[in-house]
Amino acid sequence: MSTNVLICDDSNLARKQVFRSLPESLSTNVQLAKDGAEALEILRSQKIDILFLDLTMPIIDGLGVLQALQDEGITLPVFVISADVQPEMQTKVMDLGAKAFLRKPVQLDILNEHLTTHGFL
Amino acid sequence: MNAFDLTEDQQDCLQELINVAMGQASDQLARYLDTFVYLKVPSIEQVKSEHFLDTLSQDLKATAVVSQGFFGYEGIRGEALLIYQPQDSNRLADLLGYEADELTFDEQIIDLSSILTTTFLNVFASQIDNQMSYSAPRLLSTSLGAVSQHLQQQSFNWDLALKVRISYQVTDYSFNCDMVLLIPEEAIINIKTVIDRILEEF
Amino acid sequence: MLDALSIDISNRLNTGILILDNNLNIIMWNRFLEVHANKKDKKIIGESIFTVFPELPKKWFERKVSSVIQLKTQSFCSWEQRHHLFELSHSRPITTDSNFMAQNCTFLPIEVEGEVERICVLIEDVTDVCHYQTQLNKALQELALSNRIDGLTQAFNRKHWEECLASEFSRACRHSYNLALVMLDLDKFKVLNDTFGHQGGDKALIDTAKVINDLLRMGDVFGRYGGEEFAVILPNTDLKGAEEVAERIRQTVAENTIEYQGQRINVTVSIGVAVINKQDLRYEDLISHADTALYQAKAKGRNRVCSAKEVIAA
Repeated sequence: MSTNVLICDDSNLARKQVFRSLPESLSTNVQLAKDGAEALEILRSQKIDILFLDLTMPIIDGLGVLQALQDEGITLPVFVISADVQPEMQTKVMDLGAKAFLRKPVQLDILNEHLTTHGFL
Repeated sequence: MNAFDLTEDQQDCLQELINVAMGQASDQLARYLDTFVYLKVPSIEQVKSEHFLDTLSQDLKATAVVSQGFFGYEGIRGEALLIYQPQDSNRLADLLGYEADELTFDEQIIDLSSILTTTFLNVFASQIDNQMSYSAPRLLSTSLGAVSQHLQQQSFNWDLALKVRISYQVTDYSFNCDMVLLIPEEAIINIKTVIDRILEEF
Repeated sequence: MLDALSIDISNRLNTGILILDNNLNIIMWNRFLEVHANKKDKKIIGESIFTVFPELPKKWFERKVSSVIQLKTQSFCSWEQRHHLFELSHSRPITTDSNFMAQNCTFLPIEVEGEVERICVLIEDVTDVCHYQTQLNKALQELALSNRIDGLTQAFNRKHWEECLASEFSRACRHSYNLALVMLDLDKFKVLNDTFGHQGGDKALIDTAKVINDLLRMGDVFGRYGGEEFAVILPNTDLKGAEEVAERIRQTVAENTIEYQGQRINVTVSIGVAVINKQDLRYEDLISHADTALYQAKAKGRNRVCSAKEVIAA
């Protein structure tokens, strides 16, 4: 049974970067969303096992997605991968239930560390 | 359509590079200014020199414009314009960590502009394995008419430029400024080369 | 060999090079500075920069350098903001406003393994630039004065402003557009001049003109009509719109405090508003209506707006 992964980022390049950094075990069932609205649609209708989430996106941004997940009681591990790394932002994100905060561009070893900590490796 | 147009992939790549640079620069700034800096998703467009003034016309109500040149390796260079509508000059001095009377308004604006421009461009340059040098920042004007007059008088030695608009907002101080990066056409070609190199990795 | 060459060049440069450690002690300086600073009998290397150059604004300088260290980025200070930082004599006997060299200074971080270990200050002699730029500014000011701009307040001068009104007026007549005129006069200006002197009066005019100008749109035409009288042409504006603008001006001016030599000056304006109507044949008629309304405003107690329609009704 493979893990369902969702990568949400408005940048094509960033989505590719995250995808390329995923270990093999997580690369088989990957879906992509280009903004928070698309991501939420997918999250509401399917069972996703892990979400990689950007913060600065149009329509619904990262914080919006996290809030919606909390409001709607949808629980799943969320790894935020963002360019905006200010401490205040990190606090906001973790308070909204994210499991990890990674800075862009995503680094393989750091990603793997977090994945191991949360039982994906 | 011309040779300087960026493909969707190239545009996306440039946008992402800028995004990451913005993120890190604003983090550095936030720590330095001891406040929270809010950024907006950047917009990138091509501008013909004869339309340049039009695209800035909404900004000509601005209180001040500071210009600073930047130049790196591989022919990547341009001019950064920082456009302000500051609400209160006393608070600006506060923001920068000076006493209110230590700096004139002009100096505050120029100081802040230099910090905003160079922190962002330094990070951007390091993303593309480059390094930037800068010319001294210049205050173009603090009056509406004079800015537009100054710009009209420039004999633009470029026909086309890339305008990247980044919005900085410092929330504690309800203060806004826009950074417009003008990159002339020869430099656009050089940037495309760099972008293509990055895209090839994927 | 390269080292010796660098040192040789750095000593021949017409730019000052000063290297400081993170505690602002001088590590090295070049010949340019030796010559211009003229501190032969003092110990320089290893001393705090403030001991060697006591004229430096200490807090400002420390803050400037800390930005370079923390953000690892260059910083600048140009002669236009501060004429000079270091009191150095300049090489040419040009008559400038200062005995000291005008300077452009650049602060550069010198990194060792990712941390800033030293700061390099480059000091450029721009005395010539300063001199010629100042001359140029004066010449431009004189030119502007004789052309369209009132030199003091930067509003249009009366001549040009009236020409604008003439052309707006005929346009409005031709196309049946709206056109409004707002005329304003500073209240009790003579008293202000007597109290604060002519320079205080001038400052009041400059500041007031500025705050009014900031309220206006791109198409509005702002001019200085007389000594303490201003006027604004509002194209495509009806009476209600003009009254709103006038009231906003009145309020902004009343709330604006003018700083002059440590004192606070407050001024108010009386304002007359008029809009073009079918009986007006020439632009002077419009001015006449607005002027009459302005005098009504004065008569009714000042610091208020009166419209031409009120005058006609009365």
